[in-house]
Amino acid sequence: MDVPAISTEHLSRRFGDLVAVDDMNLRVTAGQFFGFLGPNGAGKSTTIKMLTGLLAPSSGRMEILGIDLTNNPVEVKRQIGVVPEGMALFGRLTGAEYLNFVGRMYGLGRDVAAKRTVELLDFMQLADQPKALIADYSHGMQKKLALAAAVIHGPKILFLDEPFEGVDAIASGTLKSMLNGMIARGATIFLTSHVLEIVERLCSHVAIIYRGKLVAQGSLEELRTGVQAQATQAEPGAAAPGEKLTLEEIFLRIVGGTRAAAEQELSWLG
Amino acid sequence: MAGVNSAAGPLAWPAAREQFAAIAQLRWRIFVNSLRTLRGRLEVVSWFFVGLGFAAMGIGGTFGLGAAAWFLASQHQFEWLALILWGVLLYWQLFPVMATAFTENFDSSNFLRFPIRYRAYFFIRMVYGALDPTTLIGSLWLVGIALGIGIADPGLFPWAVLLLATFGALNILLARMIFAWIERWLARRKTREILGIVFLFCIISVQFIGPVMNRYGNHHGQHSRVVIPGVAVNLLPAEKFTPPGLIGAALGAASSGNPAIALGSWVLECGYAAIFLWLLDIRLRAQFRGENLSESAAPRAAVAAKEKATVREGLALPGFSSPVAAVFEKELRYLSRSGPMLFNLAMPLVILAIFLLGPANSARHPGTIGHRPDFAAFAFPLGVAYALLILSNLMYNSFGTEGVGIQFYFVAPVRFRQILLAKNLIHGSLIAFEACLLWVAVSLVLHRPTMGMTLATLAGALFAALVNFSVGDLFSLYSAKKFDYAVFGRQRASGTTALAVFGVQAVVFGICAITFALAAHFGQLWLATLILLAFAAAAFAGYSLLLNRIDRIAINRRESLITELCKAQ
Repeated sequence: MDVPAISTEHLSRRFGDLVAVDDMNLRVTAGQFFGFLGPNGAGKSTTIKMLTGLLAPSSGRMEILGIDLTNNPVEVKRQIGVVPEGMALFGRLTGAEYLNFVGRMYGLGRDVAAKRTVELLDFMQLADQPKALIADYSHGMQKKLALAAAVIHGPKILFLDEPFEGVDAIASGTLKSMLNGMIARGATIFLTSHVLEIVERLCSHVAIIYRGKLVAQGSLEELRTGVQAQATQAEPGAAAPGEKLTLEEIFLRIVGGTRAAAEQELSWLG
Repeated sequence: MAGVNSAAGPLAWPAAREQFAAIAQLRWRIFVNSLRTLRGRLEVVSWFFVGLGFAAMGIGGTFGLGAAAWFLASQHQFEWLALILWGVLLYWQLFPVMATAFTENFDSSNFLRFPIRYRAYFFIRMVYGALDPTTLIGSLWLVGIALGIGIADPGLFPWAVLLLATFGALNILLARMIFAWIERWLARRKTREILGIVFLFCIISVQFIGPVMNRYGNHHGQHSRVVIPGVAVNLLPAEKFTPPGLIGAALGAASSGNPAIALGSWVLECGYAAIFLWLLDIRLRAQFRGENLSESAAPRAAVAAKEKATVREGLALPGFSSPVAAVFEKELRYLSRSGPMLFNLAMPLVILAIFLLGPANSARHPGTIGHRPDFAAFAFPLGVAYALLILSNLMYNSFGTEGVGIQFYFVAPVRFRQILLAKNLIHGSLIAFEACLLWVAVSLVLHRPTMGMTLATLAGALFAALVNFSVGDLFSLYSAKKFDYAVFGRQRASGTTALAVFGVQAVVFGICAITFALAAHFGQLWLATLILLAFAAAAFAGYSLLLNRIDRIAINRRESLITELCKAQ
């Protein structure tokens, strides 16, 4: 049996009385482009922080490529690349200095780190301002740099927390082409995003977390079939046979969201 | 349809007092919310103890200066009162630079995103600055001086209040102006380099004061102890037109029934204040307009197209792993780009310069307070001790400058012992660099420290450094505070850390001082070297033990560390 790229067993995380992640059993097969969705405050970032070693779980077990994360964190970190929520950049370095630094922290030789830095800066179109500090980069440039840093050591699994947030269409295209290239070469990508269109276009598999609980997991087709079956069971004729639900519709049906709030009018707004 | 239906609609300009009230409430809520955590409560307790120290300094100074003012006013020696005011002015302007940890920490430039008028912004900057310990102590001292004058000559009290209040306002403006301009100059590489050269010239020029004074003294008599008063007397006419001199002159004139001269001096004093106000206004207006003090130049499209990143291989540290070398190099880059930090690192030389102008200079001349020949010899160990104190900012808050980058250390396959070892290597290199610089400066200006003194000082520095690394690494993990290398002042250190620094340095320097005293008593300075090396060996054992356990501590502290360093403000 294949070792899953990511697996969790009864993973939970509590903050005082709040249960941010509740008894999560997640399984991501190697080579999948995996989208991890949920409304704001559902527990997405908490989960990704636990899976990347930024946060300790309250209980449960996590394995990355079959290696226990709690007992062997350094070995796990060697295999993964991460773009965390805040991007984890060092603002007072230049892009080249940062990539070089990250490469060496991942154990690359000085020559290899320097060579890959040049290649990544070129690929990400960041080579034009070699003297600019990261603090002076635009948000999109910072995102591209954070992604470049996450892949400099050739990770087997890439964790991305909202990678397309604040990124323009051109930069977004660059990122997508790189991620697709990684998938083609057998890497696993675990991504959270609020932009459901992007997830639908990129990801082969999706999991949805709602109020800390994993409420759905599978391929897009499996989720679609499941939602339609549920709808038909609850109200015969609710879902037309052959109707192709979008990910947004699937998501809203699963988490039970409505647009009612959005339709309310704030009378004092101009 | 939604519409604008009230007077307080979006187009109404908010009243400044409402904004001040909102800001005051915000500050209060930040304070109250900070008490929710144990760390926040510890901070309050720590600041209470630090505050006791400042209170003692303020109250003691008030009585001391008040008594001195009373004596001088009774004797009608108002020109000497100016000397006291010079002390107050120097304290007011130098202390915040020497101890930036105690400056006001709230960066009010954050309010610029709100529809705030410039006048209100200026007022906020002034008010928040007025609450720092330096301003409070300085103001208290001036109250003491005013009371001293009032007791000596009640008729002069209104004049004293008016003049000293003006002097206080001038000091506040001058301090804010200096901070604002230094921050501006240190922000960019070019101005930083110019400032560095000017600073270097100032330091070098100090070295010529001694020879000039000696020559001058030889002209005027056999006894060189009259040199400094002689120079001072010759400088007095010019000194009368300085801010402290004007106050002395005004009080003297008021005392001898010349209100017109007193008023004229006060107007001149106000003129100084107006100049400082104008200079400060230039900076604050620039900030108000949204000036960006970034390190990089504005993007130059035409040039940028031709420039390509030339990436050289990273630094190699023989005997150390690649991650240690990488962190060392990163820290080095951060330091080299931090004007304020470089300025702080130069402070030991400034203190040495002040020392030379004061007791050390008099040490050269028999019959003065610093007559003992070894008084000047202690300049080197004292300078190194002060350098260690300055570096406490770095050693006790090693991760303060990482910001969101701290997350990287937790997702990268490195051990925290490697990261902290690299940071300590940088700190150690800085101590060594400062020690070399001070040794050269002391050798050039005073006497070359003897071999025994040099070795004993280095042994003491090694011991102190290792103790500080150990305690500093722990505090870096337990009491980290976000810190921006680019900002000069406006950042207050953690109160708990400040208290710990004082405690540790008191113990370490106390041990060193006792060891030096013992060795001096037996007349064998090498004894101090041996004892301090033994202490250093014990400190090294403790440091190694700590490094072996630091990963577990870091993992346990990761959440609070990330939360603290990743927060927006």
